[in-house]
Amino acid sequence: MSDHRHSTPIVRMEGIVKRFGTITALDGVDFDVYSHEVVGLLGDNGAGKSTLIKCLTGVHTPEEGQIIFEGQPVRISSPREARALGIECCYQDLALVNQMSIVRNFYLGRELVRRLGPLHWLDIREMNRQTCEALRDIGIVIRSPSEKVGSLSGGERQSIAIGRAKHFGAKLLILDEPTSALSVAETRKVLAYTQAAKERGLGVIFITHNVHHVYQVADRFAILRHGKLVGTYEKGEVTEEDIADLITGERER
Amino acid sequence: MPLQSRIDALTRIRHRLAEFPQAVALVSFLAVFLFFSFAADNFLTSVAISNILSFTSILGIIVVGVAMLMIAGEFDLSVGSTFAVASFVFALTMNAGLPPFPAMVIAVLVSALLGAVNGLVVIRTGIPSFITTLGTMLAYRGIARAIGGGDFAKYIKTKPVLFSILNGPIEPLNRLFQPVANFRVSILWFILIAGIMSYILMQTQFGNWVFATGGNPGAALAQGVPVKRVKLIAFTLTGLLTGIASVMQFAQRTSVDPLRGGGWELIAVAASVIGGVQLTGGVGTIFGACVGILLLQMLEQGLVLMGISVQVFRAVAGLILMLSVILNTFLSRPT
Repeated sequence: MSDHRHSTPIVRMEGIVKRFGTITALDGVDFDVYSHEVVGLLGDNGAGKSTLIKCLTGVHTPEEGQIIFEGQPVRISSPREARALGIECCYQDLALVNQMSIVRNFYLGRELVRRLGPLHWLDIREMNRQTCEALRDIGIVIRSPSEKVGSLSGGERQSIAIGRAKHFGAKLLILDEPTSALSVAETRKVLAYTQAAKERGLGVIFITHNVHHVYQVADRFAILRHGKLVGTYEKGEVTEEDIADLITGERER
Repeated sequence: MPLQSRIDALTRIRHRLAEFPQAVALVSFLAVFLFFSFAADNFLTSVAISNILSFTSILGIIVVGVAMLMIAGEFDLSVGSTFAVASFVFALTMNAGLPPFPAMVIAVLVSALLGAVNGLVVIRTGIPSFITTLGTMLAYRGIARAIGGGDFAKYIKTKPVLFSILNGPIEPLNRLFQPVANFRVSILWFILIAGIMSYILMQTQFGNWVFATGGNPGAALAQGVPVKRVKLIAFTLTGLLTGIASVMQFAQRTSVDPLRGGGWELIAVAASVIGGVQLTGGVGTIFGACVGILLLQMLEQGLVLMGISVQVFRAVAGLILMLSVILNTFLSRPT
């Protein structure tokens, strides 16, 4: 265990219960993330990974349990509120708008605006400049900020979403299946960006099916099965095979 | 490999063109324009051109709203019926003794309200707007028939100044031509409204949100864009613009019949699609949609000038619509 975890976690979720009708999607789940660490959130389809994350990002409101953000109990009732706290999501399909340019995506929802009386307009030049600068800072080179996101590769898109989160001062970065459907080279890049985000002091939640990818970057693993937390494990405690067995329920620890 | 590099070059040109959704509309517009310039004797005359522009301006104002709404990922098939309701409200309130200006404000506000009802139903129930507004298309048409007693509504007093401001002939300009042309004030309003909407879409935060809402509502929501509010505003604006178009047309014709505006909802969608607005949302320009409606109006007038049956217009319009969609799909196809 590393030293920083003696401090308060960025976020702690305690006894989270979420029901959809008669189905209990989450049944008393405890989960926490510290800064400077990557937590792999693993589980089979329907295990409750995305429900848990949606409780954290204000898409769902849990029936029971509480969320403590930097030591303060909070109620997160919209994605906007989650973002105001510094929780940023990079969903695979929900991160970027493919039909829009890099810069318009980068600033979506917090556009830089110039005003003159009642008139206002986008400060596209300044947004272009800052987008290029911010992405260059973290080692992402783009051809042009006005290029459509749809013409980029999957890895480039991920990197822009991650770069955006970092630029806007995220404290907690949530990556949802960031490496699925990526080539080997691109996966390596995304894992490197994840590592870089952690080194900059962010807490990262890495949601995936792919034990192999998450094992390379995660410090801890939280494993969900049927809406319950199977356990949280330090990297040294378990092997890749152990994790795979825990996900499917072939072994209990 | 020379062949490979030639294919690459073509792909690059295709991608460059896809950046301009209005490209196909412009090319088709030029083609149709050139065709009529040669084929119809009286096409390149001030009368014909000014008529086309005057006709275009009324429908064009509706197209501006419909295109913006489609970019936001939604449809409004009720604009034709809304158009009729607004004209009836305008006529009946004036006939009931209300001065023209407040009557106009009420008519336009009623239109905006009808648009807002569409939006509220869509965002509250999640029913696709195609179905919702198909329903309100019938319902609003019923309202138009009911308040008009199923008959015409006429304004028989002398035309007030407001009518000239809304849609009078631009006399100083018209008299420059021989024979006298038919440029109307509505053309100026149309250009102004299209310009403002283009500005809103391309240069403001709300415009950015409209594109994001239509392109990927999930991503927009995750970035804190109030997707439902954007849609509600877009629906309301579409109703509002339809109302403005309606009072403008009434100011010229001073009468309205219960069938007024019927079929325009589809013409507006067709114009938008020809202009490069994608049915799936998130892509398009107001300029393109305006070229689309201008193209369709030019086609209709051009065929009339050639003495060809109006029925042919529908066939040719349909053909151009399909060609545009095929071309636009080809251009925006990923490699």
